[in-house]
Amino acid sequence: MNAGPRVTADVTWATRATAGHPRRAVIEQAWRAIGPGVELLSSDDGGPLSRTVKRIIDPLVLRLRANPQYSLPVVTPESAAEMHDLIVRSGPELRSAATWFETLKLERRRLRIRTGNAQELYFPVCFELAVTKGAPASRDHETAAAVLHDIHRGRDRTAIEVLQQYVASPDVVTMLADQLDRSWRDVRAGDVVTGPFMAELSTVLGPATSPTKRHSAAPARQQVWSAVIADATPYNLGALARIEGAELPWSIVDLGLSSAAPQRQPKVSGDSDSDRPLDRSVVDRVRSTLRRGLDRDALPDIPLLCAEELDRAAAPWGLLSEDKQATLVAGIEVAVDLAPLDRSVTSRYALAAQIQARLRKEAYVLHARRYLAEGGPIHPRQQQVLDDLAAYVKPYLSRLWARLHGRDVWQEPCADVDDMRALLEGVARSVSLDHRQRIKSMLELRAAG
Amino acid sequence: MKLTADSGLWSTGPATAEPPLVAVLEVSGAVLAWTIDEPPAAPQITFTDLSRADWLWHVVGDSGHVALASAVRAADEPRTIELTGVDIVPGSVDSLDRLAVGHWLRRWWPASRRDGIAGLDRALLDVEVALLTAGLHGFFTDDTLDSDVAGLLAPHAPALIMYLRDDDPRIRDLVRAGAGLADDLGIDGVGWSELFAALDDSSAIREVPTGRRDDYALAAGADAGPRGAAPVARGVASVNWSAVPPGIFDAAENTVDWSVEVAGTTVVAIVRAAIMGPDPANGVAVRLSSGAVGGGGALDTDGRATLPLLDTQQRPLPESAAWDHDWTNTSVIIGAEVSESPETRERVRRWVRARLDRTTDPADQAFLAEILAGESAY
Repeated sequence: MNAGPRVTADVTWATRATAGHPRRAVIEQAWRAIGPGVELLSSDDGGPLSRTVKRIIDPLVLRLRANPQYSLPVVTPESAAEMHDLIVRSGPELRSAATWFETLKLERRRLRIRTGNAQELYFPVCFELAVTKGAPASRDHETAAAVLHDIHRGRDRTAIEVLQQYVASPDVVTMLADQLDRSWRDVRAGDVVTGPFMAELSTVLGPATSPTKRHSAAPARQQVWSAVIADATPYNLGALARIEGAELPWSIVDLGLSSAAPQRQPKVSGDSDSDRPLDRSVVDRVRSTLRRGLDRDALPDIPLLCAEELDRAAAPWGLLSEDKQATLVAGIEVAVDLAPLDRSVTSRYALAAQIQARLRKEAYVLHARRYLAEGGPIHPRQQQVLDDLAAYVKPYLSRLWARLHGRDVWQEPCADVDDMRALLEGVARSVSLDHRQRIKSMLELRAAG
Repeated sequence: MKLTADSGLWSTGPATAEPPLVAVLEVSGAVLAWTIDEPPAAPQITFTDLSRADWLWHVVGDSGHVALASAVRAADEPRTIELTGVDIVPGSVDSLDRLAVGHWLRRWWPASRRDGIAGLDRALLDVEVALLTAGLHGFFTDDTLDSDVAGLLAPHAPALIMYLRDDDPRIRDLVRAGAGLADDLGIDGVGWSELFAALDDSSAIREVPTGRRDDYALAAGADAGPRGAAPVARGVASVNWSAVPPGIFDAAENTVDWSVEVAGTTVVAIVRAAIMGPDPANGVAVRLSSGAVGGGGALDTDGRATLPLLDTQQRPLPESAAWDHDWTNTSVIIGAEVSESPETRERVRRWVRARLDRTTDPADQAFLAEILAGESAY
């Protein structure tokens, strides 16, 4: 698999004292400085559990959403010092959270609850309890039982029930339908000239650094991405997708975004006969928001949420903000270049080539594990999944759209070019994992049956 | 440390052998690989996404991690970079190596009745791999193909419940540890509530049946050669391991008997592959080719197939033509078409036998399933 040994290196990189620290090393060092009392949140070697980092440290102590500088793989010495300080100063809450976790686990056992990953589900609540209540009073069964009831009976279910009641009223549905008609009619395509826009996209999706202007590439790319977001082209392309006979660079049916071209106006409620993103009804879209909203900040009440979602469903690409629309168009351009099992495919963009290289390596892991023969199925039963893999663009765009929808609802930006690229890469990673698990389970299924 | 380009990705460490001689592990942002029968060494590390490899400092130290990250960031695309002063910290990848081997054992262990290599207990092996994975959580920040601890444990509750009263304390301890992990993960598949209940209530343990399942105690499949009227021709072939799923065929050489026979007015090839189980062979492709003559189909559950033979024009082969045909160069392919040599398989068997002989040596860190297989060989 290697390119083969070479006698001389292109570059010799002297390891001088480079500024910065690995993010996880900073967290682990600070964690150890907290001292005893957090064992339940730690692994055997004394570092924090991965789930502690993912569910408590990152979102609640370092608050990565507000402090993106703490999420870099290598953080600056200043960030490292701040992170260390934040974590150590949260020591009392973290110790209380550990005690809460013990309390909840005992209660879980007492109530014979066996479902759900205890750490995954309880860690954020434990920290929340530690902040609001301090350490648990001894044998605080009541709070613990109430918390578990809340988690396991489903807070989302309550919100979904409110939604069902709201849209059970015919008046409400008529009102929503009128509003949807108006919003849908309000969207009109302007003149579309895709040439310059596509040229800008090649810069945005280009090599991580440009060889000619190595040090200026990153800021330049950010400028171009900001220009792409400000450009009306993504909006116009989305609006064109609803017009009979309009010429788009791709078919929204082939991309899997819609079951019909031109795109039809979504319905207010009712199960659509397809799971394509642009076919989904307004109520269905709100329902996904409620499901995903479990441990997020409070959402607006249901009528407001529905009104907002109407506008979103009527907007080009089913997304309100320009940066989400632009990201979806960038994602389409990348996705049409991806083919995990096809070695002959060439990519127009460096980012797509990079993702394609990863997908090939991941396919190699399947081969090395005897889940695939060299480039083909190892059992006929896998053929269907392999055919699906050839149509990688559809699941890729469905997942990207769902992530963008979430960001649109919570007004999380895609304005940072590196963040946008990381999103496109992350979607590829999770679709690939999903596909590979299906290839794997096609073999295990037969073992079980 | 030297970074090189490997099909568009950054890579470091020695080149590895091809499967099945390679044990791989997919961690967050990288794929690690070791050639199984070489002395313990640094793995080949291929970065699928260096920015997601947040464990790297464990393996190359803080300054090594920072140096790697900045060197890669400054390069446009993978090429060759020499990083002086960056090396793998001794011992830092040992458990990862062991986990990679555990995954290898799950897929490639060459169980064979003919070669006398006992099968590995699937449930015990999966539990041990799951526990090892959970202990290495820091390497699985992103979910990967190998991070699914619940998936490893989930199918095995019915098997594990049988082991609760096993005489062997090593087995009982492993089952308890696995059940504890399953409890934390909230696994609620078939048999788990019974297993948890039995563990909570020691008196209930006495009620559960005992005894290890012998997954591999299947009747011999095709030890007897094809019979019937005098065949036109006959021969033997071998199964390429990488062409078929594991857990079906006997992994020895020359386990596929074939014969060309006249059945009424048609000429057929009868193929029988020795099976080992526990999984059935049905659906696995089989093809016999001899010059321009050939036939294909699928094996049945017991590894047998009767293939009508066709000539160059895709017409049924007449009996006279069958007798005239020179069958010397006949190949039988089971499963996919792959390139895999008998020497490769022999290397694997040598390594596996050596492991079985040394399972008591703590330095080898054998899995309990291997130890039990080694003991059963005596």
